[in-house]
Amino acid sequence: MRIRPATLILVIGFGVCALSVAQSGSKPIAGQSLPVAASSVSTDTLLSGGPAAWKEIAVKRVALNRTPPLYDTDEPATLDIPSVDVRVVRSGAKLLVQLTWHDSTQDATVLAEVPNTPPETRFRKVQTEINDRFFDAAAVMFSKQPTAGAVTPSLQMGDAEHPVEIYYWNATRGAMLMQAQGRGTTRRTGESFPARGAYQNGQWSVTFELPDLAAGTPLAFAVWNGSQKDRDGRKYFSVWQVLE
Amino acid sequence: MSKHQYAMVMDLNKCLGCQTCTIACKKLWTDRDGTGYMYWNNVETRPGLGYPRQWDRIGGGWKDGALQPSPLPTMDDYGHAWEYNYEQRLYEGKKQPVMPSPEPHSGMNWDEDVGSLNGDENYFFYLPRICNHCTYPACLEACPRKAIYKREEDGIVVLDQDRCQGYRYCIKACPYKKIYFNEVAGKSEKCIFCYPRLEKGQVNACAAQCPGRLRFVGLLDDTESPVHKLVLVHKIALPLFPERGTQPNVFYVPPFNPPKREHYNKSILEDSRLPLDYLLYLFGPEVKDVITRLEAELRNAQEGGRSDVLQLLIGRDAETRFHVRPQLVQIQS
Repeated sequence: MRIRPATLILVIGFGVCALSVAQSGSKPIAGQSLPVAASSVSTDTLLSGGPAAWKEIAVKRVALNRTPPLYDTDEPATLDIPSVDVRVVRSGAKLLVQLTWHDSTQDATVLAEVPNTPPETRFRKVQTEINDRFFDAAAVMFSKQPTAGAVTPSLQMGDAEHPVEIYYWNATRGAMLMQAQGRGTTRRTGESFPARGAYQNGQWSVTFELPDLAAGTPLAFAVWNGSQKDRDGRKYFSVWQVLE
Repeated sequence: MSKHQYAMVMDLNKCLGCQTCTIACKKLWTDRDGTGYMYWNNVETRPGLGYPRQWDRIGGGWKDGALQPSPLPTMDDYGHAWEYNYEQRLYEGKKQPVMPSPEPHSGMNWDEDVGSLNGDENYFFYLPRICNHCTYPACLEACPRKAIYKREEDGIVVLDQDRCQGYRYCIKACPYKKIYFNEVAGKSEKCIFCYPRLEKGQVNACAAQCPGRLRFVGLLDDTESPVHKLVLVHKIALPLFPERGTQPNVFYVPPFNPPKREHYNKSILEDSRLPLDYLLYLFGPEVKDVITRLEAELRNAQEGGRSDVLQLLIGRDAETRFHVRPQLVQIQS
């Protein structure tokens, strides 16, 4: 698929932006550091507790950007979700990340359960209900190898020197662990991870359980809005934020 | 470019609209969870809405080297798969008649036999459709996951279910809307030209089952194959919507209906039962030459001559219609 020249310019722009974070050394530049709270509350409580369990945790509002139209045939999309609120807690040997954002449409469903028997043995099959809907989703991406203030990975799913792990949560299909080493290399590992998403009062709140990550690890966030037909690289994304 | 290219020719003059091909395909490939609404092979009435509705008018394909935009068809455009309430009627003693649910509003040949008017005479014909296994597949180009590939050994276009993540750019890009989304699996699917059958020397299920014997299958570059003869030698089969730029490898012998009652012995180009404009819309300007060639063959036969073209189109036996040559397309290790 052909990539628009304008897209390349924007992508390079974001790359320079990411590089500026990297060149600032081990101390993140102001505005792109991510505070980490310590908590004695159990990870289970934090995962299932909802806003009450998180209300004491410092929040960082991170600006979101819309990926430019990647392909000639992409419909333009407006910046309906300008930011995501990020909370990070270290609890036990885990890092819990909660993303909260406003989204006026809850693009999620409960798909019919597929019986654990071969379809040819069943008279009735589970049917596709809707073929043209897309679901809300969010992801946390971080470098597989923590980079102690050196060059950060490419924002486009890492690069050959900086493989990234992507903890992806989909409002309908659940949590999936992915890995990538650059644009177009993303693959699902087949593994899942503990995550919980809740939609209330026009707002998504999604909690990810990540392995513990060292200070200086760069994290980036992404949000997909199903009603804007978001999927793939058509999404909202943040620039790298560096763990304090 | 593929080393070889499997192709299919369908003679639209012989299609009965019986959907035996459709059922052969469905029983073999799309009798699974999430696939009820999808017909990798369907037969639709032309002129008509088609399946999905208006697929021929909504976009996709190539223009000046660029993919063309298209919306995704909706379930209403395809028609939901429906089930019948047999249990209630037969086992639960309820008196209501057996009814489909959800109530059908569209389907893969919803406007069957409606057709259109040419003056005061109704006309229609059937158009069987599968994936065209294009030489320049727009779907392949559109997939950011590189999940779609064209088999080098035989030109069949397949969709890797492990790589697909259900983004559906391929469905938008296909100008023939012959890729379908399986929401249960979260992946898209398409006709695979029955490659597992071809690899064992068996012809495609749709072609094998066709009572009208209108399908011809073989390698386009195999000079012995009927598709080579019909497309490249006799030049009487054309792809659908050639201007969409994908170069299909499914070809059609255009409908060659008899003239109107009071116009016997006139050329179809002169006074056709099917408006020529509609055939031009479907098959492009070459359709005129094809009809001229077919008329010449017909006239020759009517005058007692022998027409190899018509003999081939009659396709009396499977050996005439199908040249499946797995030994020619084996992957070189």
